[in-house]
Amino acid sequence: MTAVLLGLGWVTPGGMGAARNAGGFALGGGELPEIERRDIFNDAYQRFGRLDRFSRLGLAAITFALRDARLEEWQEKRAIGIIASTRLGCLVTDIDYFDGVIPEQGRLASPNLFAYTLPNCFLGEAAIRFGLTGSNFIVSGRAGDPLLSLRLGLESLAWGEEEIVVVGCCDLDAPPALADFAGEDPGAVFAVLARSSADGYGTISTDGADGVRFNDIPLEGWSELVWTALSSCS
Amino acid sequence: MKSVCIVDAHVVTAYGGGLDPLWDGLVSGRSAIAPVTRFRVDGYNPKIAACVDLAPAPPGESLLPQLLERLLSGLGPVPPDSRLLTATTKAGIDLIEGERRGLPADLGAILPDQLLAWVRGRYGLRDGGYNVNAACASSTLALARGASLIASGAADAVLVCSLDLVSEFVFSGFAALQALSSEPSRPFDRRRNGLSLGEGGAALLLMSEERARRDGRQSLATLLGWGVANDANHVTAPARDGCGLIQAVRQALGRAAVPPAAVVGISAHGTGTVYNDLMELTAFAAVFGERKLPLHSVKGAIGHTLGAAGGIEAALVTRMLAQGVMPPTVGCDEPEAGADGQVSATVTSLPGGLLLSTNSGFGGINAALVLGKGER
Repeated sequence: MTAVLLGLGWVTPGGMGAARNAGGFALGGGELPEIERRDIFNDAYQRFGRLDRFSRLGLAAITFALRDARLEEWQEKRAIGIIASTRLGCLVTDIDYFDGVIPEQGRLASPNLFAYTLPNCFLGEAAIRFGLTGSNFIVSGRAGDPLLSLRLGLESLAWGEEEIVVVGCCDLDAPPALADFAGEDPGAVFAVLARSSADGYGTISTDGADGVRFNDIPLEGWSELVWTALSSCS
Repeated sequence: MKSVCIVDAHVVTAYGGGLDPLWDGLVSGRSAIAPVTRFRVDGYNPKIAACVDLAPAPPGESLLPQLLERLLSGLGPVPPDSRLLTATTKAGIDLIEGERRGLPADLGAILPDQLLAWVRGRYGLRDGGYNVNAACASSTLALARGASLIASGAADAVLVCSLDLVSEFVFSGFAALQALSSEPSRPFDRRRNGLSLGEGGAALLLMSEERARRDGRQSLATLLGWGVANDANHVTAPARDGCGLIQAVRQALGRAAVPPAAVVGISAHGTGTVYNDLMELTAFAAVFGERKLPLHSVKGAIGHTLGAAGGIEAALVTRMLAQGVMPPTVGCDEPEAGADGQVSATVTSLPGGLLLSTNSGFGGINAALVLGKGER
């Protein structure tokens, strides 16, 4: 299974950006930046204010990736899929939501916040914003499998289910109630893959087992993919 | 492309464990939706849901392991080389309810990887597996991915386990959205006014035809086609023109390489909300034209089981195909104008052919399966 890497976008503790306009990339410990609408969009995208932190994080990284792949602008809806992996999902939003349920036995529950307790809702936001009608879903695998969504995206392309797919990972910092997960890398990185294209940073492929390679270099995680792609730009 | 067979299917619903209680409950016309006693509902209106008869969880623990045990205890052997996909929207979210009220709880058990570990451990599966979350289309999408794994030759056995709980967390949210029906939900009925929540699970074992033959497994049904598409229209409401569902159904028919005329009945999402049911009728009319196909929803009987819905409905479709009949749509007494002659309060005979099963969810996602009769 092979695909062409068309674009990369991210939001990490080191900053936010895209490969062709490299902002700070540092997937690792540290605090994620607060994401404001003007950091991402020039227009008055009013829905942005309704989004929870998890959705802002994911939507921002998808936006940067599509912009990097020159696929942000559209006239007609497109059959582009999105697969996002996460370990903690929107657990921070779950906690915020339920803290609003407790005081008055649910009478103060926020319907808007409840909608974002489904982690796939930010994929729906991206689908609306960019007219993406392909398959989209969230995946969670076991620990130590950071490139799960990348492999699934390659499968979708190989099976002919998509021509283009956006794949990535998205996680906020672990909430205090999940101290065991503290120290895992918060941030979001998304990549745009195409079954074929004359453009792009290089070729992503599987090695027959669970391994993934970029330009024949074995990848262990998203950081290596971004750094290798950035080096190919310079 | 390899043929995909469903060789085992077990469900747990508010009617009990197995397809027999589900089938008998539907045929009886009795809804399993009842007053909620699991958590305090005095702050909510309405106060009903379809809960599985589970014992209270010990303090600091979730009901999810108990529901999973009920589900897997009814499933036959699963080969250890099977790939694993789970589908849940909120897994053990009930843990958060105690933890946020100051009771000790391990929130790590909320995460889907815990569910994967339980299933892997039970069958000694070598595959790490992954959980699919696509809201109320989660299990349909997981079945589609599993089918693709087999059709492409990447696997020859795939276990798809889906389940979701009725929790205060989810109940309060749908109440806040004013999406709950004041009485047991009435899918496709003129008087429908919302959904009823349900709890349950489904476990389906998929195999290639060759593997099923080699392992001596009977095919309950064949999974011939699947499709998934997003409306790209609204996060919590369906597209009124049914654009995403139309696309998903057409993909499923295309993959099955059959015309719409090959489909003889539909197991619809049928939540009982005004807009979902209208959207589905619009989409089915766009695909099937003037044909009045028998149309079924299970959700007036067992509630909306969220991420498990598609799995339970696919399992039920295997029974419909085997029996050659469609059970009543519990709760629908006066079908919506566009559903006249399609939705029935009695058992409906099905001519030989294929059945379509569809689900849609928050985030604008839609998924469709085309199923045919197995070999008995």
